[in-house]
Amino acid sequence: MTDLQQSDETGPVIAPVQPVDESGLCPVDPSYTNVLRISIALGWLPVAVGATIADILVMPRIDGPYGLLTTAAWLFATLAIVVFPARRYAHIGYAMGRDDLRVARGFLFRTDTIVPFVRVQHIDVGQGPVERRYGLSHLVVHTSGTHNSMVILPGLPSDMVAAMRETIRHHIQSDFA
Amino acid sequence: MDWRRLSSLTLLLAVVRLGPGTVRMIPALAAIGIAASWVYVVPALLAFMALSLGFAWLAWARFRWRIGGDAIIIESGILDRQHRTIPFDRIQDVSIEQGLVARALDLAKVGFETGASAEGGMGDGGLDSISLVDAEALRTTIRAWRSGIAPTLAASDAATGVPDDDDAELFTLSPQRLILAGLFNFSLAALAVTFAVSQYVDDFLPFDLFDPRAWMDMVRQSGVDGWIEAHRWVAGLGAAGVLLFVGFATGVVRTVLTNWNFRLTLGPRAFRRVRGLTTRTDVAIPIARVQAAIVATGLIRRFWGWHELRLQSLASDGKEEKDHQLVPFGQLTDIDAVMQPAGITRPGADVQWQYPPLIVQALPGFIAAGLAVAGAVGGYVFGQPFWPIPLLVAGWLIGISIMTARRHRWAETADTLFVWRGWWNPRLTILPFANVQSADLADGPILRRYGVVRLVLGVPGESAMASHEIDAVPAGAAAGLRARILMARTRRS
Repeated sequence: MTDLQQSDETGPVIAPVQPVDESGLCPVDPSYTNVLRISIALGWLPVAVGATIADILVMPRIDGPYGLLTTAAWLFATLAIVVFPARRYAHIGYAMGRDDLRVARGFLFRTDTIVPFVRVQHIDVGQGPVERRYGLSHLVVHTSGTHNSMVILPGLPSDMVAAMRETIRHHIQSDFA
Repeated sequence: MDWRRLSSLTLLLAVVRLGPGTVRMIPALAAIGIAASWVYVVPALLAFMALSLGFAWLAWARFRWRIGGDAIIIESGILDRQHRTIPFDRIQDVSIEQGLVARALDLAKVGFETGASAEGGMGDGGLDSISLVDAEALRTTIRAWRSGIAPTLAASDAATGVPDDDDAELFTLSPQRLILAGLFNFSLAALAVTFAVSQYVDDFLPFDLFDPRAWMDMVRQSGVDGWIEAHRWVAGLGAAGVLLFVGFATGVVRTVLTNWNFRLTLGPRAFRRVRGLTTRTDVAIPIARVQAAIVATGLIRRFWGWHELRLQSLASDGKEEKDHQLVPFGQLTDIDAVMQPAGITRPGADVQWQYPPLIVQALPGFIAAGLAVAGAVGGYVFGQPFWPIPLLVAGWLIGISIMTARRHRWAETADTLFVWRGWWNPRLTILPFANVQSADLADGPILRRYGVVRLVLGVPGESAMASHEIDAVPAGAAAGLRARILMARTRRS
């Protein structure tokens, strides 16, 4: 399935898609922005449409401010679809080390997580319908810790995620506790 | 092995449980009495009891379990059948619990600790109840299987029960010390319960219990008000005295009930704790599953050196407490003796304690205090008579924030992280690096301004008291600390 079966001492090295930034993190695939955009749009559009319908039906009867709800909902939806995904994409970074995975996310509140491969309990590779359209998948790493029991790395090409899964799988030890 | 049933005496337990169940019926019965006629109340009560017992019998009749080659199989459910397989491999320990009536009947509730937090130890995976002899034999079977000695041990072989009377005794609680511990567990929870109960009664009283005006009216009518007016101080002192007495009495009763005849022993691979007056529990904590230790104390009991020891383990201790209390009330020497078999030691005098910047930690409290002051100013401007109260709250917030922030400190040795936290309930978390599963460095706008980050560690198991995080580590030092923690290898491999 994968041709990344290299020796265990060095560990297979995953070539980053793009140059590494100054903090040692690789960006995820740029088309992740579009995935986010479509997912957010799918979530927001029904809300905006619902708000519009509510506005048309309810506001004239109760003498409310007609049009306010519609404007606000569409404004928020537009902002969320246009501004937010690019920013979120820009602040997700990851690094596959020799024996650990590092995932950093968030701008205002930033979290930078490291999971040593030996600590991984099991691995999921997931793909949603929107991700499938862009050939992306997300990697979910489970640890036995109560905090960070799931670490999710989204927005990477599917074949790369599969290769990463194989790399990590080689390090998982069967004993836990 | 054949299918077995729960003990038929379990049905007697169901009869006993009717009592509390009926209490919950009281409002409904009263409603029937008021709405229809009081004639129907007794038949309704009888019907309720018959139904409850009928269901208890059905549940008992449709429940069966057996010991397979490498797993316990449980089938349950009246209509909706459930078939559950719990592999011995996944059972970290078997807990045995006996309530008051169960002890009289020689019954025991058996819980299987699988470590899966979702399924919970005493959840539906347990046997409620089988005879004590069977329970102990079952535990022996599973322990033996796990240690690979004898994979096939007869489940009903009573001779194998209670094998570890010769275990080394680590800690016991004398009645005197138990009562002393109770005095330190001052609690006004009993008052809360009284209020909760009175809410039930509420609807049946001619006045509202929680309406002070109703009370004042009553007092005025009875003429007591004149006396209270004249002896205001006596009345106040009396009320305070009653509160104090209730608080201390609650603490003592609760502590004695849970920790009566507390006995902690050390077997070859596990701690074993037996305790309780009305409900006696017998729990084993495998040493290999211990993840971290928490040494907790209180602002006042600290002066006499009294501490409490809890261990965070992969298995959880029942529903309410996720960690295991190994020493409820002891001196540090007692605690050292208990921690020693688990390979955990308290920080020595030579460790370098690091203090996170005070201002960063206290800032949220200061902001809240600022809001309170603003509220006080607003109240004063608008002529509210209560305006000084927010000022008091602000002072209290500032005091608490500073005291709490000053208590937070951490230190590291080559393989262990120590974190102190808390002012009213100071507690020390001792976390061997080897048990850390993941590490976060997190920051936000405030932390970034002060050049610090928060370090959050992922550790298996749960504990309400443990603190696997440091609030503010200088950003430059944090990466190094994290790398040192994650570099440690598992202790046993």
